[in-house]
Amino acid sequence: MSPLTTPSRREALRLLGAGITLAAGGCSKPVETIVPYVHSPEQLLPGVPVRYATAVSLSGWARGVHAIAVDGRPIKIEGNPLHPGSLGATDVFAEAAILDLYDPDRSRTVTERVNGIASWEMFERALSGPLATVQAARGRGLHLVTGRVTSPTLARQIDVLLRALPEATWQGHEPADDVNAERGAELAFGRRLRALPRLDRAETILCVGADPLGPGPDQIRFSNALISRRRDTARFGRLYVAEAALTLTGVKADARRAVHPLDQPAVLTVVANTLGAGLPVPELPEAARLFAQAAADDLKREEGRALVLAGPTLAPECHALAHWINARLRAPVDFIEPPDGIEGRKPATLSDLASALDRGAVTCLAILGCNPVATAPADLDLAKRIGRARFSLHAGLHGNETAGATHWHLPLTHELESWSDLRATDGTVSLVQPLLRPLYDGRSLHQILPLFSGRAATAGYALVRETWRERGGGDFEGWWRRCLHDGVIDGTAAPTLDPGEPRLIALPETRRGAGLTVELRPDPCLWDGRFANNAWLQECPKPISKQVWGNALALSRADAGRRGLEAGDVVRASAGGRAIEVPIVIESGVAEGVGMLTLGYGRERAGAIGNGIGANAYGLASAASPWLVTGVDLAKSDRTETILRTQNYVEIEGETRKLCRQIDLAALASAEPKGIGADQPSLLDPWKGDKDGHAWAMVIDTDACIGCNACVVACQSENNVPVVGPEEIARGRMMHWLRIDIYDEGGPEAPRAGFQPVPCMHCEHAPCEPVCPVAASVHDGEGLNLQVYNRCVGTRFCEANCPYKVRRFNFFGYADGQPYANLGAESVKAQRNPNVTVRARGVMEKCTYCIQRIATERQAAERDGRAMGPVTTACQSACPTRAIQFGDLAKPGNAITELRKDPRHYALMEELNTRPRTTYLANLRSPNPDLKEEHA
Amino acid sequence: MSGNAQPHRWIARERLGYGEICAAVADPIQRRGPGRAWVIAFLGVLPLVLASVIAIGAVLTIGIGLSGVNTTVVWGFSIANYVWWIGIGNAGTLISSMLLLTRQHWRASINRFAEAMTLFAAAIAGIFPIIHLGRPLYSYWLAPYPNTMDLWPQWRSALVWDFWAILSYLLFSLIFWFTGLLPDLATMRDRAQSRLGRKIYGALALGWRGSARHWAVYETFHKTMAALAVPLVCSVHSIVGLDFAASLMPGWQESIFPPYFVVGAMYSGFAMVVVLAIIIRWGLNLQALITPAHFDAMAKVMLFASIVMTFSYATEWFMGWYGGDHADRAVVSYFFTGDYRWLYYSLLFCNCLMPQALWFAQVRLNLCALAIISIVINLGMWLERILIVWNTLSHGHAVSLWRTYHVSFYDGVILIAPLGLFAFGFLVLARIFPIVSIHEVSQLAHDQGAARGRAS
Repeated sequence: MSPLTTPSRREALRLLGAGITLAAGGCSKPVETIVPYVHSPEQLLPGVPVRYATAVSLSGWARGVHAIAVDGRPIKIEGNPLHPGSLGATDVFAEAAILDLYDPDRSRTVTERVNGIASWEMFERALSGPLATVQAARGRGLHLVTGRVTSPTLARQIDVLLRALPEATWQGHEPADDVNAERGAELAFGRRLRALPRLDRAETILCVGADPLGPGPDQIRFSNALISRRRDTARFGRLYVAEAALTLTGVKADARRAVHPLDQPAVLTVVANTLGAGLPVPELPEAARLFAQAAADDLKREEGRALVLAGPTLAPECHALAHWINARLRAPVDFIEPPDGIEGRKPATLSDLASALDRGAVTCLAILGCNPVATAPADLDLAKRIGRARFSLHAGLHGNETAGATHWHLPLTHELESWSDLRATDGTVSLVQPLLRPLYDGRSLHQILPLFSGRAATAGYALVRETWRERGGGDFEGWWRRCLHDGVIDGTAAPTLDPGEPRLIALPETRRGAGLTVELRPDPCLWDGRFANNAWLQECPKPISKQVWGNALALSRADAGRRGLEAGDVVRASAGGRAIEVPIVIESGVAEGVGMLTLGYGRERAGAIGNGIGANAYGLASAASPWLVTGVDLAKSDRTETILRTQNYVEIEGETRKLCRQIDLAALASAEPKGIGADQPSLLDPWKGDKDGHAWAMVIDTDACIGCNACVVACQSENNVPVVGPEEIARGRMMHWLRIDIYDEGGPEAPRAGFQPVPCMHCEHAPCEPVCPVAASVHDGEGLNLQVYNRCVGTRFCEANCPYKVRRFNFFGYADGQPYANLGAESVKAQRNPNVTVRARGVMEKCTYCIQRIATERQAAERDGRAMGPVTTACQSACPTRAIQFGDLAKPGNAITELRKDPRHYALMEELNTRPRTTYLANLRSPNPDLKEEHA
Repeated sequence: MSGNAQPHRWIARERLGYGEICAAVADPIQRRGPGRAWVIAFLGVLPLVLASVIAIGAVLTIGIGLSGVNTTVVWGFSIANYVWWIGIGNAGTLISSMLLLTRQHWRASINRFAEAMTLFAAAIAGIFPIIHLGRPLYSYWLAPYPNTMDLWPQWRSALVWDFWAILSYLLFSLIFWFTGLLPDLATMRDRAQSRLGRKIYGALALGWRGSARHWAVYETFHKTMAALAVPLVCSVHSIVGLDFAASLMPGWQESIFPPYFVVGAMYSGFAMVVVLAIIIRWGLNLQALITPAHFDAMAKVMLFASIVMTFSYATEWFMGWYGGDHADRAVVSYFFTGDYRWLYYSLLFCNCLMPQALWFAQVRLNLCALAIISIVINLGMWLERILIVWNTLSHGHAVSLWRTYHVSFYDGVILIAPLGLFAFGFLVLARIFPIVSIHEVSQLAHDQGAARGRAS
């Protein structure tokens, strides 16, 4: 074909055809073949959940868990019964760890501050320069900053590194630490010791600012021990609490006083003097003195079964005094070597780091797995100082505030993606095993540390096994498998020591200046802020204030009134040149002259969920006094904020008292069980019983409930309950299937509160059923009140007619195309439980008694040709105190029938003839008859 | 209203020919253009119509979360609007049928637009239960249609009864209105000037020739329908009342609700008729046909309804206290002391206090005063409906979840904009069909001895 002549028709068509063929061939996707399992992996059955024992950490301490995976996706965390920090239960943080794994904001690649996305190789090249300088100077200029180290492997690695580079410095930074307690033990006994109070043996307990039932690494252990003991009414004992603001322990207390934190040492002095210490008694308000005296007398009477606990805000001397008192009382406290840290090494503090940075002495700064820029006290101003390091890097799950201040940011793997080992507070070691390959290009700390020795990255698996090689002995593989299976390494609990006689230490003079004293506490939902980007925890109502999506400075009514403040007013709180803006909330049980604020909010670079939520309490803290800020000035601004709460303060009196039955221990003998009401004549069908042979029922012991919210988050995790976000909460919409109501019968000044978890009551005469026009709310033959999602048209009459208000409506497609923030991301969907429908917009939903678990057990029983075994609901399995019991009323000898005959038994609103299947046991209290209640 | 003494009570003019009556009603439609007032009104309501359409479109695409409803107060403006509009609708039928049956001939000049009012109000009311649903596209599941899953509605639910009540009421209103319109459609056909007009009116008139047989059949059918209407009106609003009463909630579970809702509907309906009558009388120059005596009669009905409503409220309070149930007492005290107490006081002022002015003839005959009172009554009745929803749901059995309603922008739109939809319907209707019944007014004129000549 000549280029100058126009092509003939045939040529033109030929060219066209060739062009199309080339275009089609050139643009097609490469051939990919998918291959089914020919040899399917052993034990991996499609759709069948598999449990792996592992551990998740809180402030470094392990809580052993079972992670449940379906088809290779972890979807739920449950407790590991063999682990001393879990005992089969979980807390909110462990439950929510699963969502952190799938957080779309997790950092995915190595990044460099200027050039953005980089790679591990580029980082290693960049590190080699400063590393050479440091190695030449025997480590001088290398600073490692870590959180609390409880991992034996990590400790070994750091130790090896520090041996090779003896001039290098290791800094420890744990925002929610217990440094006062540690130093107190050192003062009292002259050496480092960790006290493990035995709440199962102590019966009369005085907590001075301490909150053993509150959130923390020991919450499960302490609350389980205390509540198990109290189940035996002969050993009910008495719990005294003197605290600045209401805590979970304060709610469960038999006698509680709001005491200013600076008066709390005096309470300890009164007790010590009763036991013959002869210390000078500081000034103390009359009410607090009477309280302290009553407690002291009671403690003295119960010697051998009495215990005093001092809180984290108290000075080390107070802790030392508490040790002295406990020794006098022969209190049940075990002492062990502190299981954390590295043997023979004491970490430097952040203040040391700040001064080294000021001197320009930091060549290479490695911040590993912690976030000091956000969580260090404000006066250290690390964000600015880190810039003085020649080379700095941060390794973390998120590109957070610290990542913003350093040169390099390295993505860490989540605990469910990596190999490691962690110790519990009693020293027991758990192996951490990955449930899936890292979702992103992250590495664990174990893999990163060798880089500082100039070695190539080693697999975490090999490193962890190397640590335990010796201990495993001859049959290492067998031993290793057993440890992985159990989730704990036998015999690693620290042996208890005889601490010797504690010294009696005089308390330092405390001066009460003018101005407000603000007590800072770890947040019950976000802890020290590390969970700020966890939507479940942001939306989890704080146990007492029921606040969500934010924090607020809690004041007593009198204090707020004196300052002309109302709830929601934003104030500028300033102390020592540091200032934050924070909204005010009025709470019951706050001591006069005290404000309480929780840490962990006001994050700037937490992610799409946590950014800019709440006020940053670290901005008020100082390195000298991280937990207590004195002389705080409040200046009212002209701004107000809505305090988002899922429940308003409820004081019960008169008729409403029966909503939350409370009984004094002394009156228990004469108490009668209350049934679910006589079956009144009704226009509805009479109750014909459960024709399928099962009758599921739940009994919740409100005395055992400590309000910790583990059940709430467990339910959310198990049942794909969506998060709605702060705007929706402000409109009064929430989704939790299970709520924990708090009722106060004492009044705002002297709260005497009780918790009441409220799931669906599964009424035998369910008011929701007859009103549904399309029969989406129906009863099944096993006594379950069901909601048929795909039949629901969304009239909401069922919720309007539900006296318990336990139904939840998808006003928008919270899980269905209209998610909050980034919660619609693909990675979040991986968390969903495949056995539970994800509900569409416009559909009503509610607690199902975990019907999917009942169905699983029924199928297993039918397959095996046996009777159905016990079924555990998600809330029940999470509960650290076993307050929730679930079972089959139709089964002979079941525990539920017995509990329904308990004298404390009662049903909620039984007068409505709903005949609820979820019933309650009343709250018990054993007030000191010598101690008149404040308000009485 | 002229101060002149009237020779006949229900017809203003001394003598009014049938032709004049026809002309008075039909000419504005057939011989004259829409007129400036109509055009202005039409343009005025168009934005509201548009707003209604956008609001409905938005709630269907974005979700019911646009409304201010929340976990505790799951019902809101949609339900209150629904009850209010149904109430408006009721009076139309009541006026038409009850007054027809009791041979209250004065109804002749107002029954047509009262029926039209029913039709539009019921149609608008019918929108609300659908757009208040979470999944409006499945609203047909309330109907027992044949389906492969053998699923039927749940007959014990008041909402299913309600579905039937609205549906039958809407169909009935349409047929009843259309029946009454037949002779007039024939008149319109006969007077039509264009071929198209003759065709359309002719088709709609269904071959009406005005023969004696036609009239006999018509009278029988119309009377029978009217006889059906009265129980239907009572049933539809009783069932609306049962939507609340067939529940377990304090403040709702009251046997007084059905009759109390019927009276309430009549009350607000009459008030609406008064407002419309005043507007139409002015807009279409019907002073001759709608006389002060009509207003006087309707005002007396409103006064009576007001007393019954006041008595119903008092019964509610008394029974709440006398029943002794804590939750009931708490709700009644919440009426007076709770978050919505100012609205509740306003409601008492609007529904109980203000209408007492109608004891005085001067007020009843003063259209301005009457219009204000009628509007106030309608406002009060809407407040009553929203407070029935809010008070009980905000202050139910579950103390820990007590919460108030947050009015959203969408709520405001669906409260106001349907008024435009309603006016739009009327404006269109007034240009198409005789807004006053020609044949019935002629009859009335005949009976009053005011007529002369023959109908043209």
